[in-house]
Amino acid sequence: MRTSFAGLTVLCALTTTANAQWLDLPTKGIPRTADGKPNLAAPTPRTPDGKPLLDGLWVADDSRHLANLATDLKDVPFQPWSEKLYNERRANMGKDDPEARCMPQGVPKVNTLPYPFKIYTTPQAVVILYEMYYLHRQIFTDGRLFPKVFESPSWMGYSIGRWEGDDFVVETAGFNDQMWMDTFGHPHTDALHVTERFHRKDFGHMEVLATIDDPKTYTKPWSATIKQHLLPDTELLEFVCEKNLDPQHLVGK
Amino acid sequence: MRSGSLALTAAGLMFACVPMQAHHSFAAEFDTKKPVELTGTVTSIEWVNPHAWIHMDVKDESGKVASWNFELGSPNLLLRNGWRRDTIKPGDMITVSGSAAKDGSNLANARTVKTIDGKRVFNAGSSGEPGTPGAPQSGAPQQ
Repeated sequence: MRTSFAGLTVLCALTTTANAQWLDLPTKGIPRTADGKPNLAAPTPRTPDGKPLLDGLWVADDSRHLANLATDLKDVPFQPWSEKLYNERRANMGKDDPEARCMPQGVPKVNTLPYPFKIYTTPQAVVILYEMYYLHRQIFTDGRLFPKVFESPSWMGYSIGRWEGDDFVVETAGFNDQMWMDTFGHPHTDALHVTERFHRKDFGHMEVLATIDDPKTYTKPWSATIKQHLLPDTELLEFVCEKNLDPQHLVGK
Repeated sequence: MRSGSLALTAAGLMFACVPMQAHHSFAAEFDTKKPVELTGTVTSIEWVNPHAWIHMDVKDESGKVASWNFELGSPNLLLRNGWRRDTIKPGDMITVSGSAAKDGSNLANARTVKTIDGKRVFNAGSSGEPGTPGAPQSGAPQQ
C-alpha cells in the first residue's frame, strides 16, 4: 500500500487543527504575535532575581535520542562487558526493554520521550511532571547534598539542582541498575551519575545537555544534547499503563 | 538511514506533526516486511494505555470470518493527532494498513485507518521510533 500525498495532507491537517478538551485552551502567559499565535522566539522569561524560568510544557524535538542516546557520538566508550550486553540487546531488537513492561524510563531517558513534561519552579525544588507513565521528579534546590548511602536505589534517582549562570544544573544519582538508557539498550549500573544542564534559549526552545558518568559501564563520561520545544495551548494528559499486551508478543529477531 | 528523497520528505513532513511512539521497540514485535491491509467491520475499540486497540472481523474470499487486533498509538497521541473516542465506532467498515506481528498471531500494528469510502484517513499514531531498525514513520510511504 502506498499512502498518497493527499492522504498525508489530510493527516497533517488533522494534527494541526484538532485538539480536545483542555487541549485547545490557550495557555496563559505565553507571548503572542499580532495574529494570536504563540511567539516561541520571544525572550526567555526570568524570575525576579534574574534567573531563567524553566516553567512550561516541553517535549523533545525528535526521537533520535530515545532510540539511541549516543546517536551523535562516533564511538561509545564501553567497558568490555557493557559492549557485549549492548550488542546482545541490539541483536534481540530490544525485546527485553523494561519500558515495554511499563517500567519508568529513568534519567536522562525521560528527556527524550515523545510525550510532554511540565516544569514547575518552587522555592525549595524544581518539580517535573512527566506525562508518560505518570512519573515525577523533585529536583531539590534547598542546598541539600546527596546522602552518603542511597538506602533505596530507584528508577528515577535522587536529584539536586543549582544555577550556574543561565544553566540549571541537575545532578542525579542513587539509581537502581534496571533501566535502559534508550531503546537500543545502552546499559548502566548503580554507579550511574547523570548531570543535566537545562538551558532555555528563548521562550519556546530549551536544550538539555545530559552527561553520563558510570565508570563501571563506560571508560569515560559521555554526553548527549537533547533539544526541546515548548508545547503551547495543550496540557498534560493521564498515561497509566492499564492494559499492556505487548510483552507476550515481543519475540525479538 | 533512509534512501530516496520522497521518503525523506514525507518522513520529515510527518515528523513535524506526529510524535513518535515510545514504549517498546517496534522491530521486536512487528515485521515491516509483512505489510497488511485488511478491510472489515469494527467489533470494538479499546481506549487504553499504552496502546489503543481496534478489534475487527475480517471476512476472507470464502466467507470465513477471522478476528483481528490492531495496535494503535496511545490515546494521548491519538487525541493530539485529531482522533476522538467516536472517530471509529463498532459496526464501522474500515481499512487498516500496517505491519503484522512477528509471532504470526492475528495482530498488527496499525499505521493508517481509512474509512470505507476512502475519504477519511487517520494516522494510527503507532509506528516505532526513527532509527530503530524496521520502524517506519507514521504515514510515510511504504518502500
